[in-house]
Amino acid sequence: MPVFWLKLAVLLYGVASLAVLPAALFDRPRWRHIAIPTAFTALFFHFVALAEMLNAAHHTLPVDRHETQSLLALLLVAAFLIVYASYRTVALGIFILPIAVLLTLGPAFSPSQETILLPHSGWIFLHIALLLAAYAALFLSLLASLLYLIQERRLKSKLPAIRFVAYFETPLDLLDQIATKTLIFGLPCMTAGLLIGSALAEQTIGPSYFLDPKILLAFAMWVAYVAMIFIRRSSGLRGRRAVYLSSFIFLVILTVWAANQLSSVHRFTAP
Amino acid sequence: MSDHNSPTPGHKLVLLGINHNTAPLDVRERLAIPAGRLADATRTLVHQPGIREGLILSTCNRVEILTLQEDAPAADNHTPADLPRFLHEYFSVTPAALQPHLYEFREREAIRHLFRVASSLDSMVLGEPQILGQVKESYTVAREVGAVQSNLEALLQRTFTVAKRVRTETHIGSSSVSIASVAVDLARKIFGSLQGKTVLIVGAGKMADLAARHLIQQGATSILVANRTESRAQQIADEFRSPTCTTAVIPFDSLYDQAERADIVITSTGSPQKIFSRSHGQHFLQRRRSRPMFFIDIAVPRDVDPSMNQVEGCFVYDIDDLQQVAASHLADRSREAEAAENIITNEVAKYQQRLISRDAVPAILALQQAAEAIREAELARAAKRLGNLTPEQQAAIDALTRSLTAKLLHPQLTALRQSARNHDED
Repeated sequence: MPVFWLKLAVLLYGVASLAVLPAALFDRPRWRHIAIPTAFTALFFHFVALAEMLNAAHHTLPVDRHETQSLLALLLVAAFLIVYASYRTVALGIFILPIAVLLTLGPAFSPSQETILLPHSGWIFLHIALLLAAYAALFLSLLASLLYLIQERRLKSKLPAIRFVAYFETPLDLLDQIATKTLIFGLPCMTAGLLIGSALAEQTIGPSYFLDPKILLAFAMWVAYVAMIFIRRSSGLRGRRAVYLSSFIFLVILTVWAANQLSSVHRFTAP
Repeated sequence: MSDHNSPTPGHKLVLLGINHNTAPLDVRERLAIPAGRLADATRTLVHQPGIREGLILSTCNRVEILTLQEDAPAADNHTPADLPRFLHEYFSVTPAALQPHLYEFREREAIRHLFRVASSLDSMVLGEPQILGQVKESYTVAREVGAVQSNLEALLQRTFTVAKRVRTETHIGSSSVSIASVAVDLARKIFGSLQGKTVLIVGAGKMADLAARHLIQQGATSILVANRTESRAQQIADEFRSPTCTTAVIPFDSLYDQAERADIVITSTGSPQKIFSRSHGQHFLQRRRSRPMFFIDIAVPRDVDPSMNQVEGCFVYDIDDLQQVAASHLADRSREAEAAENIITNEVAKYQQRLISRDAVPAILALQQAAEAIREAELARAAKRLGNLTPEQQAAIDALTRSLTAKLLHPQLTALRQSARNHDED
């Protein structure tokens, strides 16, 4: 049954991904009225599917690759809907909704067969959920910065608007607010996520855990994240340089993610 | 043309007018009716012989008279309506002076023209929003003097619906085509809401004044004025001051120290040299911690060095740039007009279909009433022969006769409706 709900959610994410294109590119309110409720319904089914999936596996945290992917997609769509509710912009949906489809395709159509070994389930759930929320926040911030760059270039070029992008115009100030606020939202999530993870590792593995280069990379990611927020706040970094900086941090996060997937230290699945 | 295109049989719909395409301003001026005299003109119109209902639309670009006229045959000793004569008498304009500029639409074409006018497809600036309001005002006046009754009422209500549909289903009115409104649009693309934004006016000029007023309308709450003549700066500042907008004068000497306070700078001086250079832009942005600044340079020769646009966070638009954006918006509107014309064609056809169905209604009703009378008479006669029937038996016979009548009438009613349609197509 959870897989059925997830398949339904994937289908609805797909519909929302298509509906959001005319809504954002051509400013068609009718399509926005289809895209947003569809995305919201998909999010609901996705939540039901994830909850049932975790419950059926007799654990309450996403630990295998598919479950984590699914939770990340859920957080991304939730973040998109929160941004929509706050700023009434659907532009981010052009990227977020198709990414949600891609992230949920695997869990929906080829469910994992891995066996899970679970230590400290409650705290680990927080550790994973908080870090995923931080990733989602950074990804949204990067998207908003990219859109800022596109919009800035378009305004500076002064060329008559190409029809395809004529309405793809979220105001610069609003994009900057989204980029900064999502980034700031991600910081406590990442900090708490890393602290909980460290405390758990200290208890289960001991100090040797902190000598793992992957763990050191995770802390480097946190330092870079804090540095980025500091630079943005102090110098009012916007546009091209903000995109470069966000992209760099995102690359570090992707590296940490990949390392987590490959590392034998940081796994809960049975060998 | 068949009168099945008319709102009612025996009447014809006629629209007579002049507009910016057919008549020069001096002719239009002679027919223009001030708002205060519109009621009197409309009343005079409907008192003309042969006119049942009427409406006058008078704007700076057009004067149009929409009438529902009696369409009686010539032999009936009937005086036909003579709209050119009405114009001649009411406005004291010779027919020869008017005739070359007049256009007339009848029936279907009159409906189409009215839909196009209200949807702003016949306006000088395609998609401008005022015309619908003007049509509504004319309608209100005509209704108040009793010149609009059931027939034109239905047509005008449909007109408003069509105009609304065109506006919501196309982008015909969504982009700005005047320099001042283009500047406001661009400011909104940079800052989103203009609430609380500060505007600096450097120099003086009508267009700068207009742009600043548009920005205040959109929420800008603070105006700074810099002018080489301080008394002139003070005068401009006083003009803009209001409970929702604070103003201040910046001495021209301290312009470069204070300009970064402004989010939007409108320059319109007569200076032969540039007032703001690229390095000024860098300096302002540094002091604003990269918060964007929008320069609207309306001056010729230009006041802002175009290379300032390369500074990250500075957006510089001169008069040519603004005009180019306005022209591209106008082109967009022309493209949208195509979609709007399709909507109107579709709506005219739908409206006519409704008229045709309405034309067939009296005949259909008469046929149904005649059939019902026969049924009841036959039923009463049969009741005497049948004697005492139980209520169930009476109900069964009643249902049987009703069903028979309906089935017998069905082909006739269908033929009547079809005939009304065919008649119209002929």
